[in-house]
Amino acid sequence: MNITRRLLGKVALGLAGATILMQVPALAADKPAPFDKPGVKIALVRYLSTGDFFQAYLSGVEAQSKALGIDLRVLDSRQDAALQSDMVDQAIALGVQGIIIQHGLTESMKDAAQRAVDAGIKVVAFDVNVENPKIPQIEQSDRDLARLALEQAVKDNGDSWKAGYVYVAGIAPLDRRNETWVDVKKKHAGINEVAMFGTLDNPIANSVANQARSVLTAHPDIKVMFAPYDEFAKGVKIAVDEAALNKGIKIYSADISTSDIAAMREPDSAWAATAATNPAVVGQVSVRALAQLLAGEDPGHNVIVPPTLITQKELIDKDIKNMEDLSAKLPQFAHADVAMPAWMPNPNAK
Amino acid sequence: MTLRDYAIRYGFIVLLLGLVAYFAIAADGFVSPQSAVFIFQSVAITGVLALGVTATLVVGGFDLSIGSVATSAMMAAAYVMVVLEQNAVVAVVVCLLIGAIVGLINGWLIVYMRVPDLLATLGMMFLLVGLQRIPTEGRSIATGMTMPDGSVANGKFGDAFLALGRHRFDFFIPNLIPVSVVVLLVLAILIWFFLEYTRFGRMMYAVGSNERAAELAGAPVKAYKIWAYVISGVFASIGGILLAARLGRGDIASGNNLLLDAVAAALIGYAVLGAAKPNAFGTAVGALFVGILLQGLTMMNAPYYTQDFVKGVVLVVALVFTFALSGRGRS
Amino acid sequence: MVENAVFRVEGLRKSFGQNEVLGGVSLNLHAGEVTVLMGANGAGKSTLVKIISGVYERGGGAMSLAGQDFAPRKPAEAIRAGVVTVHQNINDGVVADLDVATNLTLDRLTGKGVPTLFNPSRVRRDAKAVADRMGLTIDLRARVSDLSLADRQMVAIARAMAHQPMVLILDEPTSSLSSAEADRLFRLIDRLREQNVAILYISHRMSDIRRLADRIVSMRDGVISGVFDTKPLDYEGAVNAMLGRKIHLDRIVAKGAARPVLTVEGLRIAQGARPISLTLGAGEVVAITGLVGVGKTALAETLFGVRRPLSGTMTMNGRPYAPRSAADAIAAGVFLVAKDRATSGIVGGFTIERNISLPFLRRMSNLAVLKRRVERATARRQIEELGIVCRSEKDEMPTLSGGNQQKVMVARWMAQDSGLFILDEPFQGVDISARRDIAAKLRASADNRATLLFVTELDEALETADRILVMSEQTIVGEHRNGDIDLERLLAEVAGGPLHSAA
Repeated sequence: MNITRRLLGKVALGLAGATILMQVPALAADKPAPFDKPGVKIALVRYLSTGDFFQAYLSGVEAQSKALGIDLRVLDSRQDAALQSDMVDQAIALGVQGIIIQHGLTESMKDAAQRAVDAGIKVVAFDVNVENPKIPQIEQSDRDLARLALEQAVKDNGDSWKAGYVYVAGIAPLDRRNETWVDVKKKHAGINEVAMFGTLDNPIANSVANQARSVLTAHPDIKVMFAPYDEFAKGVKIAVDEAALNKGIKIYSADISTSDIAAMREPDSAWAATAATNPAVVGQVSVRALAQLLAGEDPGHNVIVPPTLITQKELIDKDIKNMEDLSAKLPQFAHADVAMPAWMPNPNAK
Repeated sequence: MTLRDYAIRYGFIVLLLGLVAYFAIAADGFVSPQSAVFIFQSVAITGVLALGVTATLVVGGFDLSIGSVATSAMMAAAYVMVVLEQNAVVAVVVCLLIGAIVGLINGWLIVYMRVPDLLATLGMMFLLVGLQRIPTEGRSIATGMTMPDGSVANGKFGDAFLALGRHRFDFFIPNLIPVSVVVLLVLAILIWFFLEYTRFGRMMYAVGSNERAAELAGAPVKAYKIWAYVISGVFASIGGILLAARLGRGDIASGNNLLLDAVAAALIGYAVLGAAKPNAFGTAVGALFVGILLQGLTMMNAPYYTQDFVKGVVLVVALVFTFALSGRGRS
Repeated sequence: MVENAVFRVEGLRKSFGQNEVLGGVSLNLHAGEVTVLMGANGAGKSTLVKIISGVYERGGGAMSLAGQDFAPRKPAEAIRAGVVTVHQNINDGVVADLDVATNLTLDRLTGKGVPTLFNPSRVRRDAKAVADRMGLTIDLRARVSDLSLADRQMVAIARAMAHQPMVLILDEPTSSLSSAEADRLFRLIDRLREQNVAILYISHRMSDIRRLADRIVSMRDGVISGVFDTKPLDYEGAVNAMLGRKIHLDRIVAKGAARPVLTVEGLRIAQGARPISLTLGAGEVVAITGLVGVGKTALAETLFGVRRPLSGTMTMNGRPYAPRSAADAIAAGVFLVAKDRATSGIVGGFTIERNISLPFLRRMSNLAVLKRRVERATARRQIEELGIVCRSEKDEMPTLSGGNQQKVMVARWMAQDSGLFILDEPFQGVDISARRDIAAKLRASADNRATLLFVTELDEALETADRILVMSEQTIVGEHRNGDIDLERLLAEVAGGPLHSAA
């Protein structure tokens, strides 16, 4: 091919034109400042990043940022608390207008967040309490997650059964889910927790499966397994299958992923229901809450993303095979009407 | 033999039997064929890894990469079947190849590049933990997952592959013994026979005890060392295959807990029958010991951290048996 | 001269258990004089040095330094009193990861009254003073690990001299130096001599000794066997006294060789060495003798394939022989009982039985599966043959005495028939009765193979061999039939100098 200067020139013109065209809808939308122009700079400062949940969260943040024409910078500290705090300062130095703090430790992030606020930057925090009245807290409600799953368990099995419970203390979301479990046991005296176990040895599902097998050997009369974290549930399911008790036991859990959907859909699967918040939606809500702040609106101090109950029956009836199907066929899972003022573009709208 | 000799030789076996007796009384349902099979099943994966690392211990080396080889093999199996939509045989072959190649690289680093074994395999461990995330950009692999480029992976774990984790053979009682336990037993017998009864195994012990003497006796010392790491890598990848077959998906994991449990089993094995050296029978008994302990403690509702604590105590006691009582540590 | 001795040792004794290592050693060192101490392995040199430098406690006798009683209980005490030792292993004397300046002043970093803070400029100033006094021209900021062996040695000696000692002991300081490097060391020693230091120099190297010695003291079997201090020094006499010349009552009857087994042509084992040519015949036992460090082990390893010659050819039983590994050599029927059994022979975790079978596992297995019965039978036969004292073939090696361990090593390589059987220092650390047993066994079984021994001790060669070859400077310099040996000539060859009858 003969590449001439004219050809190159055409390509360059075409590219420039395309860029302009793509920006037209954003320009045309009727949005408050600063979103009337594209290029608002924000930073996502992460503490945790590996794993499906965090990948999905990031995709939500990216989708909503794109819909708002935001220039997003991602700073990932990879579980280094000190580095994460430095990264907030780095973001300030970059001249961003808003910061999303995703996870981290209260001790290390409290001061960093205050420095950002002092520098005139709008900040929201997800799943880390930075103890600052000016910073909205984005939360997925762990208590609601546990409540939804356990309500379904009572609905399916009545309120008198022997239960196995998977729990590792000291992990904040699990601790919050545990509070609900304690409440539910108090309310329903017939629920008898005969075994509590759990481990975070990785691969977690494999280690939990080993423990669950031992528990099932000791207590073959367990009716319900409450495993409020999908890795736990996956492990319990393996053990239940291996012990061939899958018809006599039901598993209730929290969180969801494509492989969880497959496991729940298996014939005679013991995994009856799970309650989940869509991490992508949480990511979208984080950006929207920050955008509201930047536009001078108040999203409220606690922005709670409500969970959705997903039952085995629904998955089979609606032929849901993966996360995309889930978003498409359960609209309440795909989108939460949180932090949605009229001008806010919905990233899911095609 | 003096009382002390008896203590060194049979002390650990007696401890094991005592433990079984205690759990039989204290934990309902501990004594049953199903329970026994399950103990084997729970240690099958770490047991296979431990047998592999025993080979490197025999030649005086160490392999810290086995945990990550296992999880990488698991990811590879999932990737081959789910993303590339290949069958179970291809998946198994790819896993074994990965194990062999990692072993060769480890051996090459240690023998020809003169990197100390702990450091070489530590580097390999980090490398693999990162590498297994690259193809999927850090996502776990399951049927129906969305790939980085937005497409959906539609392959699935073949039934033949899942059977490796789920099929059970009849043994007096129908559907009793899972494939993983059979694999563990077969590999244990193989490596035991190899180390104890073949000239290759004997030479590997000689290399581990006095490398120069082995070389002057005509042994290709470098080749033996590299082979030991290949054995370790292949065994670890077999562990990864069993792991993938049990979980039915490819999970992002470092495999560090697999590594630690496997090494603990191999080291506990030093104390079995007063061997005071790495040996396959001891490793198998060591793995079983850990399995029985965890099964019993879980049945008695002991939380996970007490289990780690007890595992540590057993390991320390075993090492004391090996190094202090038998007096081998000094020579 | 005796009156002005700076350092005196009187009747020093030391035993380890039953074994008497020093049987009353007396020695005087004079200021501004280099006294060379010669002695074969096991003569007690290193024990003597360790007592003087405060590592071992003496078993009896007295020592005095400048008229004062000298009885160090720790190395630090000896150094403080003014007796400094530079040990053979250079790396014991320096810290490789620190720079030269820090090394030179290292001893000032510990002890009382040392400031807690490390002051680099003061360290450099002090170090410069030390280096200047010694005429050292090494970059003080260089890391010791980047220096050559000779430079490290210089640093170690300079560091020792920073204490301004009265007595300096150098234990085989040139054993890993090239001749040019050694020259630099000698100039340094000359300088120290001028500074009136009394120097005890331990070495086997005749060239060093000729260059440096003011006096020579020979040691043998834990006693001083000769003192030579009239010039010109009687070097052969000193070697004589060190190796010991006894009348051998049990002289062997030397046999001649039948057909040639190994022929070596123009073999060069070191840069600048003269090529070696020799022929070994079936049925004869040949001993190669020479001082430590003349290339005996290098030659043994070359014949066994674990070291490559620089040039030359070898023929085994008429066929070209160019082994690339020990395995090649073994396959060709060349076996080696290596020097220093602990590091290169014994597999510590193995029983006697498994130590014996080690090189022949392929021949003792069927499709790689070991034939344990054959293995056991072989071990039992060999234990019987060599009279190894043990409870059974299942005994672990550490339970055996040194002599029996060595017998196991010999038994290992006699378990199968060889064409050429090489033994490098087979009598090291072996008691006299085991030594006789092994020698008798070697001679009795020698008929169908060539047997080659490398020994430093002349006695061992005289007791065992039909023919004795002398090595010096990495090559063979003399040949003797063990019948009517001209010991004068042989000793002169060992000492490496031209024969002069005035001795």
